[in-house]
Amino acid sequence: MFSIVKHQELAPKVHRLSVQAPVIAEKAKPGQFVILITDDKGERVPFTISGWDREAGTVDFVFIEVGATTRKLATLGPGDQLAHFVGPLGLPAKIDHYGHVVTLLSGYGLAAMVPILRALKEQDNRITSILQAPDQERLFEMETLTELSDELVLAVGTRGEHMTESATMALRQLLGNHRRVPVDRVIAMCSICLMRVASEMTRPLAIKTLVHLTPVMVDGTGMCGACRLSVKGANRFACVHGPEFDGHEVEGWDVLMARRCTYADESILQQGFQCRGCSQW
Amino acid sequence: MSEIKDPKALEQPAKAKKPKINLNRLEMPKQEPADRRRNFNEVATGYTYEMAMEEAHRCLQCKKRNCQDGCPVNIDIPDFIHALQQGDIKEASRVLKTKTSLPGVCGRVCPQEVQCEKHCTLNKKGAPIAIGRLERFIADWERSQGGFTLPEMAPSSGKKVAVVGSGPSGLTVASDLAIRGHQVVQFEALHVAGGVLVYGIPEFRLPKAIVRREVEYVKTLGVDLRLDTVIGINYSLDELLNGEFHAVYLATGAGLPKFLNIPGENLNMVYSANEFLTRTNLMKAYLYPEYATPVKIGKRVAVIGGGNVAMDSARCSVRLGAQEVCVIYRRTRAEMPARLEEVENAEEEGVKFYFLCNPTALLSDGRTNVSAMELVRMRLTEPDESGRRRPVPIPGSETIMDFDTVVVSLGTSPNPLISSTTPDLEVTRRGTVVADEHGKTSKARVWAGGDLVSGGATVISAMGEGRRAAAAMHEFLSNGRKKIIPPSPATE
Ligand SMILES: Cc1cc2nc3c(=O)[nH]c(=O)nc-3n(C[C@H](O)[C@H](O)[C@H](O)COP(=O)(O)OP(=O)(O)OC[C@H]3O[C@@H](n4cnc5c(N)ncnc54)[C@H](O)[C@@H]3O)c2cc1C
Ligand SMILES: Cc1cc2nc3c(=O)[nH]c(=O)nc-3n(C[C@H](O)[C@H](O)[C@H](O)COP(=O)(O)OP(=O)(O)OC[C@H]3O[C@@H](n4cnc5c(N)ncnc54)[C@H](O)[C@@H]3O)c2cc1C
Ligand code: SF4
Ligand code: SF4
Ligand code: FES
Repeated sequence: MFSIVKHQELAPKVHRLSVQAPVIAEKAKPGQFVILITDDKGERVPFTISGWDREAGTVDFVFIEVGATTRKLATLGPGDQLAHFVGPLGLPAKIDHYGHVVTLLSGYGLAAMVPILRALKEQDNRITSILQAPDQERLFEMETLTELSDELVLAVGTRGEHMTESATMALRQLLGNHRRVPVDRVIAMCSICLMRVASEMTRPLAIKTLVHLTPVMVDGTGMCGACRLSVKGANRFACVHGPEFDGHEVEGWDVLMARRCTYADESILQQGFQCRGCSQW
Repeated sequence: MSEIKDPKALEQPAKAKKPKINLNRLEMPKQEPADRRRNFNEVATGYTYEMAMEEAHRCLQCKKRNCQDGCPVNIDIPDFIHALQQGDIKEASRVLKTKTSLPGVCGRVCPQEVQCEKHCTLNKKGAPIAIGRLERFIADWERSQGGFTLPEMAPSSGKKVAVVGSGPSGLTVASDLAIRGHQVVQFEALHVAGGVLVYGIPEFRLPKAIVRREVEYVKTLGVDLRLDTVIGINYSLDELLNGEFHAVYLATGAGLPKFLNIPGENLNMVYSANEFLTRTNLMKAYLYPEYATPVKIGKRVAVIGGGNVAMDSARCSVRLGAQEVCVIYRRTRAEMPARLEEVENAEEEGVKFYFLCNPTALLSDGRTNVSAMELVRMRLTEPDESGRRRPVPIPGSETIMDFDTVVVSLGTSPNPLISSTTPDLEVTRRGTVVADEHGKTSKARVWAGGDLVSGGATVISAMGEGRRAAAAMHEFLSNGRKKIIPPSPATE
């Protein structure tokens, strides 16, 4: 059993949990994830590690309520226990000194990207972060993001409402300026559609673009093949070869998106589910 | 569950003067196909006491123990059957357990028809003794008697061993070494112990309560079972060896699924058998939504492959409500590696078989769901040097069949998580770990066995390799630098 030590509500339906898990805290690296099971009848569900404290032996993750498991998690607090918690799974994000890094963030990515940003900062990168959210209320982790980013671009709202700026427009502007202010790398942890569009936008400019993919997973250790995708003609498992991939090498985005939504109609049976309301907004 | 009466309450069967050889084996009662198509309860319900006695009395007690030679762990078959004939089930159980720690499992899933029963003398003239069914009867009887009888435990050796993986091979080594006085920590990546016995083989062939009991038994021996711990991630093999452990046994199985590498293989509703079976069995998707994990299945299911895994996938599909389930296999029925009994069960349950054809592409419905399969007909060539008839495609024989769900069941290979983080552990091109007949690997203080070494075999061979490795490890741990264990402080 794994004890929950802290529960924080960051925005409507967005929560951060800290879990006592010293073995995981010991080895966690930016970009890795955990898989948890709430109780004996629960599902194995993956979450990106958004922070850790090696001394206290705790691991944090931020989640958005979308379906049964995340709604259950939202009701848990200090003193409650998770039946299972395993990690750190997946390969760590690649970190180096690249120069000017543009990050594209939405949904839980706003928080889950923080360890990566911090590591990039330690390598002296200049960071421009583009944040996308449906509305002002659903922005979170702003203080940390402001601190870690040299420049912050907000793309808040829905087209047709008071859309300040869309993330793609913001990215287009930055890329338009690429000759004068070069973009050395793009890292995206946002909705799969946005990651796909961003990869297509940077391809002609040959700007290395890394995407954090989250296909449906079961075991998270390379045993089931549920998370497979085609990368440069080869079958890759997101849980062991990813979740970070080169967006220009990812093939079959349509299939990837469809596979991710295999169980969407199962969730529709669950009250309150909206398509496009997946955890990555 | 079979009804098991107290043997003592029954009168001993009258001894026949000159026993006549009975060539017909007693069939084991099964759920009717029409019923079992709709539930995940065990298909075969097991012998009753009377049935077990009748079958046991057919045994000739041969001087030349052919049956025993056919068993990979050399179970003293005539002896346990003799005890059964005497009505002494307890003794029968004791005999069994000297060679197998999982009689309830092996009795159910061993391919007896190519092992012990194949070699039974009676097989020449009639039907062999139903050795597996008798083992199952004995194990079930013991289970119905409540708690375990604990073996005699050796005093503590002061040595500490790590066992990686909790499938049949790991469980065997853990219990064997614990009994010999070593302190055992067993690591398991998943949230349940048992390996393929819990995530692969379905409830209707092997009730999970049986596996749970075996795991409980291992824990009562003092084995420290740590679930949710992935070696290669949480600890590397070297960390285990440099830390508290004197020796390590690797039994991580062959969990990496193979794919066909044909166009369309990643379309939606194309599963690996591992995913499909894990969702269904380990996560209990057949009880969704009581259990939170769903499994989605269409109306027409194709299962590609001809092994036990393919049969299990096909029969799970039937039970999950598919209207038509087809097994696609590139050779003929005669070459199918699946157990005959399970092929027959699948057929009775309405599974259709398409032999000598191989998928060449999976086609989309236009919305990235699989909707059809292109197949090519195959023919078997003349046997090559190895004696195997290789299937080759017949050009121009392509056809298309409609399917809305496909389960790929082509076998598995070992997961590279540990080997890729342990450069000095020798592996073959197929990814299996190289080990000698005692399970010793190329790396000092490391043994390995089960599917990780064989690349995918049987429960009993995984167990047998564990047995042999445990003996070798015990010898290593007891010899040489013998540590003097101080007498334990007197306790009140
Ligand atoms: C590597 C990885 C890291 C992730 N990190 C986070 C995170 O940090 N925070 C967060 O909120 N979510 C994260 N997710 C997504 C998260 O796993 C899903 O939101 C979660 O499974 C939803 O479970 P549920 O039972 O609440 O909803 P469900 O009812 O199961 O699903 C609701 C919808 O969520 C999507 N979904 C379901 N299962 C998955 C899955 N395994 N992976 C991705 N999407 C899924 C589907 O579109 C589905 O229709 C991550 C997923 C992966 C694979
Ligand atoms: C669907 C199916 C049906 C089968 N039917 C039969 C049958 O009818 N009869 C028969 O005799 N055999 C059958 N087999 C084969 C048999 O189950 C295997 O040969 C046997 O289970 C192998 O045992 P093992 O202990 O080597 O490995 P496994 O049973 O595979 O156990 C390995 C364990 O190690 C764990 N593990 C893996 N990597 C790590 C890691 N890095 N760290 C920690 N733990 C790890 C795994 O999670 C797993 O629990 C079947 C197999 C399948 C898949
Ligand atoms: S363990 Fe398997 S092969 Fe050996 S006697 Fe029992 S059923 Fe036969
Ligand atoms: S070979 Fe058959 S008949 Fe002979 S002892 Fe063995 S089980 Fe009995
Ligand atoms: S989640 Fe099973 S292989 Fe990746």
